[in-house]
Amino acid sequence: MAQIFQKNIDIDAYGEDLLLGLHRMMWRIRKFDQNLIRLMQEGKVSGFYHSGIGSEGLSAGAMVGLRADDYLFYNHRGCNQMIAKGIPLSRLYGDFLGTLEGTTGGLGAGIVHSSDMSLGVVGQAGTIGSQFSIGVGTGLSAKWRKTDQVTAIFFGEGAASEEALHGSLNWAALHRLPIVYFCENNEYAISSHWTETHAVREHIADWADGYGIPNCVVDGNDPLLMMEVANEAIARARSGGGPTFIEARTFRHRGHYEGDPVNYIDKDVLRDWIDNRDPIKNFESVLLQSGRASDATLKRIAQEVDDEVAAAIAKAEAAPLPDKDRIFQGLYS
Amino acid sequence: MATITMRQAIIDALSEEMDRDETVILCGEDIGPFGGVFGATQGLYDKFGPTRVMDTPITEKTIIGASLGLAITGFRPVPELQFADFVGVAFDELYNKLGKWKYMHGGAMRVPVTVRMPIGIAGGSGPEHSQSPQALFIGAPGLYIAVPSSAADAKGMLKTAIRDDNPVLFFEHKVLYEMRGEVPDGDHLVPVGKADIKRAGSDVTIIATAYSVHTAIAAAARLETQGISAEVVDPRWLAPLDEETILASVAKTGRVMIVHEESKTGGTGAEIAAIIAERALFDLRAPIRRLGSPDVPIAQSLYLEQFYRPTEQMIVDTAIELMSYS
Repeated sequence: MAQIFQKNIDIDAYGEDLLLGLHRMMWRIRKFDQNLIRLMQEGKVSGFYHSGIGSEGLSAGAMVGLRADDYLFYNHRGCNQMIAKGIPLSRLYGDFLGTLEGTTGGLGAGIVHSSDMSLGVVGQAGTIGSQFSIGVGTGLSAKWRKTDQVTAIFFGEGAASEEALHGSLNWAALHRLPIVYFCENNEYAISSHWTETHAVREHIADWADGYGIPNCVVDGNDPLLMMEVANEAIARARSGGGPTFIEARTFRHRGHYEGDPVNYIDKDVLRDWIDNRDPIKNFESVLLQSGRASDATLKRIAQEVDDEVAAAIAKAEAAPLPDKDRIFQGLYS
Repeated sequence: MATITMRQAIIDALSEEMDRDETVILCGEDIGPFGGVFGATQGLYDKFGPTRVMDTPITEKTIIGASLGLAITGFRPVPELQFADFVGVAFDELYNKLGKWKYMHGGAMRVPVTVRMPIGIAGGSGPEHSQSPQALFIGAPGLYIAVPSSAADAKGMLKTAIRDDNPVLFFEHKVLYEMRGEVPDGDHLVPVGKADIKRAGSDVTIIATAYSVHTAIAAAARLETQGISAEVVDPRWLAPLDEETILASVAKTGRVMIVHEESKTGGTGAEIAAIIAERALFDLRAPIRRLGSPDVPIAQSLYLEQFYRPTEQMIVDTAIELMSYS
C-alpha cells in the first residue's frame, strides 16, 4: 500500500533563491491563469480551457529538480507544468491567441499542443492518457542513448483510469525506465469523484505496487514537500533506479472548463480548499512566519509578476496572426 | 538479381537499414528470438541484439505510442503490429497521433516511424486476423500508406519508408510472404508515391493492390487470349497516391476497374474511383467498376473465406463487360 510521504521540512535548510523562486513560480502560474480567464471573458480566447488555479504548488515543486533536457508530458491543466518547465508566458498566450508568438507558430494550442523541444516539452495529446505510451518511448530513448534524461509524465487522476497507464507501468517497470509518474489527484474528472470511478485498495498509487514501482501519496499543495518527493524520484530515475509513481493530492478552485456550473462539488468542501489549503497563501504564511521573506518582498514579487504577465500578453497580442496558408505548413517533413 | 521470397526481401531491407543507421530499431510482439509470427524478422535478433530488436508486451497502444516517443527523440523505429487488424487496439496512436503530432505541435519535429502490419485473408484466420484496413487511414493526414505486391517492391519501399522522416503505415499481405520474385542487387529503393505499371495494355485498366495485383496479372494473361489487352497498375503507395500514372492509364484505355481485397464499400477503391470521376470522366468509355470483398465480416471457415477475395474470373468477366461499351 502506498505510504503518505512525510518529511520534516526545515525551511532554514533552503536558500533564499529557492524559496522565493518557488513563490514567484506559483504566482506566475496563477497570474497567467487568472489573466487568461480574463482574456476569455473579453472574448479573445475560447473557453476551452482547464484552469490550474489551486494546484500551482504541485507543478512548481515537482519541476525544481528537472533539467531543460528532461522530457515533460503535461496534463490537461498543463499550463502549470509548462510554465514551471520554463516556457515563456508570452509564448503560451500566443498559442491561446493564435498569434505567431505561440510555440506552434500561429497554429494555435489550448493547453494541449504547446511544445518546445529545446525545453523538453515534447507536447501533449487531446485524447486523455496518451502520454502514458509516448512517455515509454522517450524513456526508452534516454536509456538507449545512455543519457541521464528523465521523463516526467503528468496526468490527472481521471486519466489514471485509462487502460494505457497499465501498459505504460508494466513496460516502465520491466525495463527500469527513467520515468516519474505524477498523478495530480484533484479528486474530480469533470463531475465524477475518483472514489466513484477507481477501484483501489486505498490510493491510486497502490496500483504501482503491483508492478513493483516505488510509490507514495503526497500533499501536492505543499511546494517544498512536493519538491522533496519529486527530487527523490528524479534522482532514482537519473541514476538508473527506474520509475516512481507519485500521487499528489490537490483540488481545483474552478470548474473543469470555464462555464462549468460546478454543481457536483460541495460548496463547503471547495471553500475549505480555497480558504485553508491554498498552496500560495499557505506558502506565503510559512515564509512570513519563518522570517524568510518580508511582506515588502512578497509584494514586490507579486508586482513583478503582474508586470511580467502584462508584458507577455502585450507581446502575444501584438504578434500577427499567421497567413491563412499556415494550415498547409508543417504536416510533412 | 536474386530471386527471393517477399519475407526474405523484408528481412534484407530491415537488416540493411539497421546496418546503415544505428537509430533504426525494431519493436513488437514475438519479433525477437522467435523471429515474428510470420518470420519477417528472422535472424535479426541474433545480428542486432535485444535492444535493437525488442520483444514487447502485448500492448499495441504502447508499441505505437512508444515508437512516437522514440521518433521525436532521435530514433527511427520500425514497430510491427502482429496483424493489421490490431490497428483497432492502437487506433488513437495511429490515427490521432503518428500523422498529426508534428503538425499540431507547430511542425518542428520529425516522426520517422514505419509501422509494419500483415494484412489479408490467409489460412482461416477469421474476422479479426484477415482484414485489410488501409482505407481507414487514407483520410488521416500526415500518414504515408505503403502496400507492396512483390519482393522487389517490398524491399525497395521498406527501405525508402525507413529512411523517410514521415510516418509510414506499411501493409504486407500474408500470402505474399512466401511468394518469390526477383529483387535488384544493391541499394534498391522505390520512391515514395510512385505507382508501377505491372503489365502494359491498351483496352482496359486494372488498378490493383497487394495480392490482388497477382490475380489481376493472371486475369490479364487470360484476357489476352481473348483479344483484350489489359493494363495492370499497382499504385504501391495509397498515400501519397500517384494520380498521374492512374489517370494516364485511364486516358489511354477509357475503361477501368479497381480490384482489392478490402471491402468494396469504403475501400480505397472508392477514393480512387472518385478521383477518376472527378478528373477523367470524359476519358471514360464505360462505367468505373470496383471489385472488393463483400461487405460482411470475414468468416473463420477455411471453406468460406475463399469466397471473399476478388477472383481471376471476376476480373475477366468485368473486363469483358467493360469492353461491351464502345
